[in-house]
Amino acid sequence: MAEVGLKLAFSVAQIAVVMGIVLLTVMFLTLAERKVLGWMQDRMGPMEVGPYGVLQPIADGLKLFFKEDIVPAGANKFLFTLAPILALVPALIGFAVVPFGPNRTVELFGYQFQPFVISDINIGILYILAFTSIGAYGIILGGWASNSKYSLLGGLRSAAQVISYELNVGLAIVGVLLLAGSLSLVKITEAQAGGFWHWYIFAFPFPQVFAFVVYVISAVAETNRVPFDLPEAESELVAGFFTEYSGMRFAFFFLAEYANMILVSCIAAALFLGGWNAPYPGTLLPENLAWVEGVVWFAVKVYFFLFLFFWLRATLPRLRYDQLMRFGWKVMLPIALGNILVTAIAAYFFPKG
Amino acid sequence: MKFKAWLKTILFYEILIGMKATLMHLVHYKPITLQYPHEKRTLPDSYRGMLSLLRYDDGTEKCVGCDLCEAACPSRVIKVVSAEVPGEPTKRYAKEYYMDMTRCLFCGLCVDACPVDALGMTREYEWAVYDKRLLQLNKQQLLAIGDRSFPVREKRLELQHPNVAFFNVAFKHLPPKHT
Repeated sequence: MAEVGLKLAFSVAQIAVVMGIVLLTVMFLTLAERKVLGWMQDRMGPMEVGPYGVLQPIADGLKLFFKEDIVPAGANKFLFTLAPILALVPALIGFAVVPFGPNRTVELFGYQFQPFVISDINIGILYILAFTSIGAYGIILGGWASNSKYSLLGGLRSAAQVISYELNVGLAIVGVLLLAGSLSLVKITEAQAGGFWHWYIFAFPFPQVFAFVVYVISAVAETNRVPFDLPEAESELVAGFFTEYSGMRFAFFFLAEYANMILVSCIAAALFLGGWNAPYPGTLLPENLAWVEGVVWFAVKVYFFLFLFFWLRATLPRLRYDQLMRFGWKVMLPIALGNILVTAIAAYFFPKG
Repeated sequence: MKFKAWLKTILFYEILIGMKATLMHLVHYKPITLQYPHEKRTLPDSYRGMLSLLRYDDGTEKCVGCDLCEAACPSRVIKVVSAEVPGEPTKRYAKEYYMDMTRCLFCGLCVDACPVDALGMTREYEWAVYDKRLLQLNKQQLLAIGDRSFPVREKRLELQHPNVAFFNVAFKHLPPKHT
């Protein structure tokens, strides 16, 4: 009994810390995106709230919190309420299996705990893919339940886009899974230890560069970001699927989008860029502080991907709908399938160990 | 040649050029933003801002009530009520002078039309109000704007109408009238 209680307490504390870090990162990202985007466009970004606008996310949060919560006439009230929750929860729940730091166990009151991953389940990546697919329901239901043509069009586009590109995400990952021989994110990351030439993007039997490019492009499309932001195309559909949402419900969609960005960045870092592993063999810091180095390298990789999201947004215009579909099915899908074929052959001729 | 084009396509050559451009703007960060309420642009001397009525340096109003500004105004902003100066039948002045600044388009035609340089355009532009009626200005308000915008009243005789004899301008070099 005591063991169960202790494990529960530790898990709850771990979940609280991870959620806190994720939500803080989301807050920081809303500011960072506007700042980086502004700097790239010769603007300054938010400058009013606090010194150099650093308190802008707090002001935005307060504003969203106190805004009127409107349910449009003719909307399906139950689904209208359910949709933002359905979008946010899968985005946050995926962090349960992401390893943020080295895989080590800590002994606390005589029991073993893993401090840097909430739960190391053996189907980790499959679990994340399954839950991000549920996130698409939130968008589609939100679009349908709003009783608005713009929302419905946004939801329809999102349905088609997310389904097409999730296929590519899944197939791009298969190459890595073939090389690693495991679905657990901790085991996949551990297999890439010992220098950047062991990372799966450069790994020996067959470098997963093509899979990496397919994954990054599909991840941008899956999170509905520019240049694949057709579900919320401002210039065409007002705001797409969340046109009718206001106040905290809108904030939920907003949080879900940014949490999804962080999640796909974490997966990209863990699968292709070696997660917490440094680009050189071993660690520079002494043994008892090595975890700091691991966590910092993981954060650096994740923030590189997040910066890439902003960078793409500042550079690229939106794709046309037929271009999006053609690109997904006729370009990305064959590349991903070819990558699986070649990786499978390479993994057969150069088996691990 | 075809191979080169194909290579450019698969390496996202055009996209990389675009991303390099945005990154260079980030590295060489030179914003052109002016933080407006905190920083303000220096305006040119010929800026056409709020209209005002001017005075001579002895404090008398320049306006002679000739109505030329009212005639010149394309959007009927100005309304002048002209009257004789009491006791001086040859002199006239603007007894009442109204401007409806909600309609003004700051073309400056009234200033050009004025033969005695009684109208001036100031460099004031922050005239946003909550009540539209506050923009319907009378003579006292227009004179006050002129007083605060042109504290040094110059004669600027070169701007005056060549046929000044028609207009009873207060010339200091002429002997004062004995009434």
